Amino acid sequence: MSDLRARWLPWVGVAALVAVAAVSVAIVRREPELTLAGEHDAALAAGLLAAVLLATAALATWRAGAVFSVLLVGTALAWLVSEWNTQAAGPAFTPGLVLYAAWPALLAAAALHGLDEQRPSRPAVVLLAVAFGSGIGVLGVASAVVFDPAAQGCSECPTNLLLLASAPGLGSALGHIGLALTAAWAAAFALLALVRIVRASPARRRWSAPVLVPAVAAVLLWGFEAVHGLERGFFSNDPTDRTLRLVQAAALGLVAVGVALARLRARRTRAALAQLVLDIGAAPMPGEVRAWLAQSLGDPTVTLLYRLEDGEWVDAEGREAALAPAGDRETTRVRIAGQDVFAVVHRPGLLDDPTLLSELVTTASLALEHDRLHAACRASLEQLRASRARIVAEADSQRRELEHDLHDGAQQHLVAVALSIRLARRSLGPDDAQLEARLATAEAAVRAAVVALRDVAHGLFPAVLAEEGLAAALEELSEQVPRLVPRALPSGRFPSDVESAAYFATLESLRLTRDDVTVDAVAEDGRLRMVIGAGNQTDSTMLQIQDRVGAVGGTTAVCEGQLTVEMPCAW
Amino acid sequence: MRLVIADDEALLREGLARVLEDSGFEIVGLCGDAEALLPMVEARRPDVAIVDIRMPPGHGDDGLVAAQEIRRRHPEVGVLVLSHYLDSRYAARLLEEVPAGAGYLLKDRVSEVAVVADALRRIADGDCVIDPTIVSRLVARKRARGPLDVLTKRERDVLALVAEGRSNGAIGEQLFLSRKTVDSYVSQIFAKLDLHESPEQNRRVLAVLTFLRSG
Repeated sequence: MSDLRARWLPWVGVAALVAVAAVSVAIVRREPELTLAGEHDAALAAGLLAAVLLATAALATWRAGAVFSVLLVGTALAWLVSEWNTQAAGPAFTPGLVLYAAWPALLAAAALHGLDEQRPSRPAVVLLAVAFGSGIGVLGVASAVVFDPAAQGCSECPTNLLLLASAPGLGSALGHIGLALTAAWAAAFALLALVRIVRASPARRRWSAPVLVPAVAAVLLWGFEAVHGLERGFFSNDPTDRTLRLVQAAALGLVAVGVALARLRARRTRAALAQLVLDIGAAPMPGEVRAWLAQSLGDPTVTLLYRLEDGEWVDAEGREAALAPAGDRETTRVRIAGQDVFAVVHRPGLLDDPTLLSELVTTASLALEHDRLHAACRASLEQLRASRARIVAEADSQRRELEHDLHDGAQQHLVAVALSIRLARRSLGPDDAQLEARLATAEAAVRAAVVALRDVAHGLFPAVLAEEGLAAALEELSEQVPRLVPRALPSGRFPSDVESAAYFATLESLRLTRDDVTVDAVAEDGRLRMVIGAGNQTDSTMLQIQDRVGAVGGTTAVCEGQLTVEMPCAW
Repeated sequence: MRLVIADDEALLREGLARVLEDSGFEIVGLCGDAEALLPMVEARRPDVAIVDIRMPPGHGDDGLVAAQEIRRRHPEVGVLVLSHYLDSRYAARLLEEVPAGAGYLLKDRVSEVAVVADALRRIADGDCVIDPTIVSRLVARKRARGPLDVLTKRERDVLALVAEGRSNGAIGEQLFLSRKTVDSYVSQIFAKLDLHESPEQNRRVLAVLTFLRSG
């Protein structure tokens, strides 16, 4: 394909167009009544204009669609050559005989190939084979081989260089066959194009329909002209043919306009993406690239996923994300230098527009790479937070176990010991007063140990927190520490790590001040928001609370003696 | 008075049985897990069942759950729950369905035989008894707003002593008030807490329940 992108090739196209146009004009001017344009200069001009527009459109899209552009230039040239099939053509007569019916096939090929350089489908290949076979093969070469102008009453016609043997009967038969085939493939082409338009996603339809629809119109008009000429067995230049020729010129002009439209749309996308890069600047905020993409692609639901070094996919926040689309979403992976770098999750068909993706990569790759690195950073922070949460959870669970063990083991035994001492005291005789006093002391000491142990166990991990939740635990804590004043508290349960972080924050606040401590909490939007009111709280004393709250992905803020703790609690 | 004792710690169970037998109680059954307790109560029909809060099979609040079940099915059987927990909510749970004849004592009280014996007698009489440590913690805490806001400081002091299971006479002695004054405080409390519809015995327990739940 690189040779098609050669710099000199467009200039060859331009030169060819100028030359062919000059020849056509000369031919038409010499004997207008024999041509399709006829005696009106306007008709000639319309034909020329159609060719120029097509060629211009082809040259403008040279980079985007090389094969398409070549086919389009070919169509423009063949369109002009279709005027050469007259006695005024001189040396151009023979090429005119061969190629006068070639342009619809070239146009069909260009339209089916499309701006996005699609590989033609099997039905398209068959159709194009019939189109070229009938247009250049049957009506062109085969007919020329058996056509002797002089023998068929055109004494002034130039020599047919291809003539092998004059066979008017065969020539007429070939004409009929060619016209019938032309009408047939024109209809088939219209059907194929219709199916393609209907089946395409909206984005692709917006892209391809402006070219495909006028091309179908032009080809159908050609098919209609074939039907019109079927009875006599050849294309001619009667008033109907001339009218059709004019309308065909208009349709060709519209094809050119369609190409220009598609070209403009691609430009607009590129401009929007370029603007995106300018707006984002060197350091986009997380999510900014996504927002701008959503705006410039016109899909507010667009999300971006990034691939980390280890092959994992994460979202912009660094959270692990599934690549498979959910519901009616579609995922387009974007590879740069053969590597998956990011993926766009979007509504189906949004990125079918073939230029969009490549524009996206070339224009926004820097911003996207920045965002990807940011996501990677967030991902490692998230891993760090998760590991911190695991450490805290492990510590909590060990403390709970210890609390259980103290209750079920040590405390029970100590109570039993106290009872045993009491029983021993009962069995003492009246003269064991001294021993009785010692045992009483021992019993009191054991009971004191039970009380002390109870406090230790409770301090390790309050059973009520695990069993009944935050509100109950804070109520219970307020019985133990009267300075604590629980106010509005949500009665529901939260993840245990969130509950214990909230409890710990309260406990730590009580430790930090001698004043009363009020606690308000509310659960909304999947977050537990807790306001701990205690005087002289400062950030520096909050480190432990910050650590604990941060481990569950929460935040703390101190303002006017109030500590606000927010934790996500629904994930 | 006939007693059933349920505690998974054998030493404690046997010790408590002996101490209480010495104090004139009749022990009609001993068991070591919560599941065996209910059939035993149904078979032996004690006056009061002494239940450890933390027992097999779950080692959580199985004992309390069993105690609640006893109260639901056999309201005539009093229940004394022994616990390591100072949480007043457990005590409230015990009282909330059948507001009579139940007690919640901390486990370290068991060697104070007089306290336990007194509690058992009150429970058998249909009173309720809450451990003084828990009551004093409830009194000390600062409430933002609660149902006890309608009571004066003095009335709250009286209510706290009612919660500990004291009789009006004993409350009068403690607060240096005449029996009559205490009577009037108590009826004032019932009135303020909207409890005048129930019989006297239940009113005392309902007032205690309100006290326990004042959070």
